[in-house]
Amino acid sequence: MLTSELRPGGRETAPTRLDDDDLELLLLIRHFERNLLDLFSAGKLNGTTHTCIGQEYVPVALARLLDDRDYVFSNHRGHGHYLSRFRDPAGLLAEIMGRDGAVCHGVGGSQHIFRERFLSTGVQGESLPVAVGVALHLKRHEPGALAAVFVGDGTWGEGSVYEALNMARLWQVPLLVVVEHNEIAQSTPTTLQMAGTIAARAAAFGVEHRRVESADVNAIRGLVAPAVERVRQANRPLVLEFATTRIGPHSKGDDTRTEEELRSVRARDWYLAYQKVFPDQFARLDTRQREAIERITRDVDARTPSRWEGSCPGQSES
Amino acid sequence: MAAPTMHRPTTATSSTQTITLAKGLNMGLRAAMERDPRVIVMGEDVGRLGGVFRITDGLQKDFGEQRVLDTPLAESGIIGTAIGLAIRGYRPVCEIQFDGFVFPGFDQLVSQLAKLHYRSQGKVKVPVVVRIPFGGGIGAVEHHSESPESYFAHTAGLKVVACSNPVDAYWMIQQAIATDDPVIFFEPKRRYWEKAELDPTARPEPLHTSRVLRRGSAATVACYGPMVRTCLDAAAAGAEDGIDLEVIDLRTLSPLDLGPVFESVRHTGRLVMVSEAPSESSIAAEVAARVQQECFYSLEAPVLRVTGFDTPYPPSKLEEEFLPDLDRVLHAVDRALAW
Ligand SMILES: Cc1ncc(C[n+]2csc(CCOP(=O)(O)OP(=O)(O)O)c2C)c(N)n1
Repeated sequence: MLTSELRPGGRETAPTRLDDDDLELLLLIRHFERNLLDLFSAGKLNGTTHTCIGQEYVPVALARLLDDRDYVFSNHRGHGHYLSRFRDPAGLLAEIMGRDGAVCHGVGGSQHIFRERFLSTGVQGESLPVAVGVALHLKRHEPGALAAVFVGDGTWGEGSVYEALNMARLWQVPLLVVVEHNEIAQSTPTTLQMAGTIAARAAAFGVEHRRVESADVNAIRGLVAPAVERVRQANRPLVLEFATTRIGPHSKGDDTRTEEELRSVRARDWYLAYQKVFPDQFARLDTRQREAIERITRDVDARTPSRWEGSCPGQSES
Repeated sequence: MAAPTMHRPTTATSSTQTITLAKGLNMGLRAAMERDPRVIVMGEDVGRLGGVFRITDGLQKDFGEQRVLDTPLAESGIIGTAIGLAIRGYRPVCEIQFDGFVFPGFDQLVSQLAKLHYRSQGKVKVPVVVRIPFGGGIGAVEHHSESPESYFAHTAGLKVVACSNPVDAYWMIQQAIATDDPVIFFEPKRRYWEKAELDPTARPEPLHTSRVLRRGSAATVACYGPMVRTCLDAAAAGAEDGIDLEVIDLRTLSPLDLGPVFESVRHTGRLVMVSEAPSESSIAAEVAARVQQECFYSLEAPVLRVTGFDTPYPPSKLEEEFLPDLDRVLHAVDRALAW
């Protein structure tokens, strides 16, 4: 069977205990992005940004299933993807604020990052074919490595997604499509923008599909690890669809959902669940991450502007 | 040659109201929809959200979901279906969220929209309007601040216009919708919130005309879209130093209406062409080429271009270095005068 639902440890059940490292990463992303929204309100950032508040557990769960040889293609909502890979809040904040030590010298900003094998773009859907190309190379020259692409449900409106799936399956490449299905694209609910299902679309190409309902990091890892391993070993493309929730606005202050919808979305926050079930561990790590982000922000804010010349942390790779 | 038309400053009468450029577009769309039931609006988040910049605010509520369609995230699909609707009699107005997101739909624009009228020997009309907020100045990132107008002006079969102020926005969007040909309609996003007095009972200039906004004799400054405000400010600053600039808003980029520019250059002998787009193979390059061809004997100095640079659009912290500003315009004027 090409498609299946992975349910154990769903939203209804209490989460299992995380090791400190995982919970810290979750909290790092949460506080990093809350801080970004505060910086916007304080007029310290301009343009816009998209936070993954509510969805952090997806990249955190996948982080330990990916390794340095893997490519990650991220999108407009990519801070969690980046931080899960590099744990580099200072470099990312410097990038967004245009300060010394910025990952891409400050030319990329929030949604256009290029560091070693991590690339993000704000143009929806365009990463997929690029990832297929990279995956084809990996298959030929670095067997066992894969190319992972993060996309939202709305992005399944773009034609490039289907061109890529077709090629990925035809050429049997190690492509992992991670769908953060948060039921909304900007202001448009999935019901108004998607006919059929992602599962059926993947099936149409003969591409394996898994849908994950759980928000429990441990449970997710256990459930998806074998399928991810098959991508590596058998060069079988896989669509991994996470039923998730966008708790924050699309970017800033532009949430069109009703109070009632927002209440139900907020009630599903992993943050509350872990806080409730593991209060001591949570309080200790939450404070630590909150303070770390405050410290980093002060430090980065005081730095000189980023410049095109000079060293850039991420660009050593061949 | 047609005499250049003067921009009549509207004095406030009972029929005028103060509007922003965004409001002008919204009112223009509304008027077009009221007048003609074949006009429909489609795009990402244009319905319940009213679009990223709220240009379509309230239209779905008032005209319903049959006429204001929230589409999937699919630019090629949006423009393609608009073409299909148009050849069956609709007049679709498509919204592209930001300049940098038109490219997934580029193939439909260039290969279908631009060609059908020609291919059918004029039998098929394709009255599609594609609205694109363009240009920088709002502190945004890559793909959100670009000026891609020359790609479209380069393609035969597409009309391309750019509004610069609230009054033109109101009239030009209606005229674009009433046009039987495809029109790529550029909106200067950083001027969306600028205000002016609109008299909806006035008679608008034809769509494909450029317009002299300020008379002067020292040099001609031609511009369009977001740069019009910049150039008018430069002219005001120049006037304080005794430099009297003539400012022309091109308004229509394809076809260009350069009659007023030629006439102006024959008086002033100098042209500074200003736009945000990079200069290479740009509208500015086309204007420069035609002016030197038509006004060769009148020119006292080469045509100078003040434009964005031939680089990807920079991060927001640097955009002030990239975007032509008052100083760069006046500096070019000084160079032209010193020639
Ligand atoms: C080609 C393209 N068109 C439009 C946009 C503007 N835009 C940015 S995010 C977004 C919605 C994306 O929805 P989805 O894929 O569900 O991801 P989510 O935002 O929910 O994470 C849109 C329309 C874009 N980035 N790229």
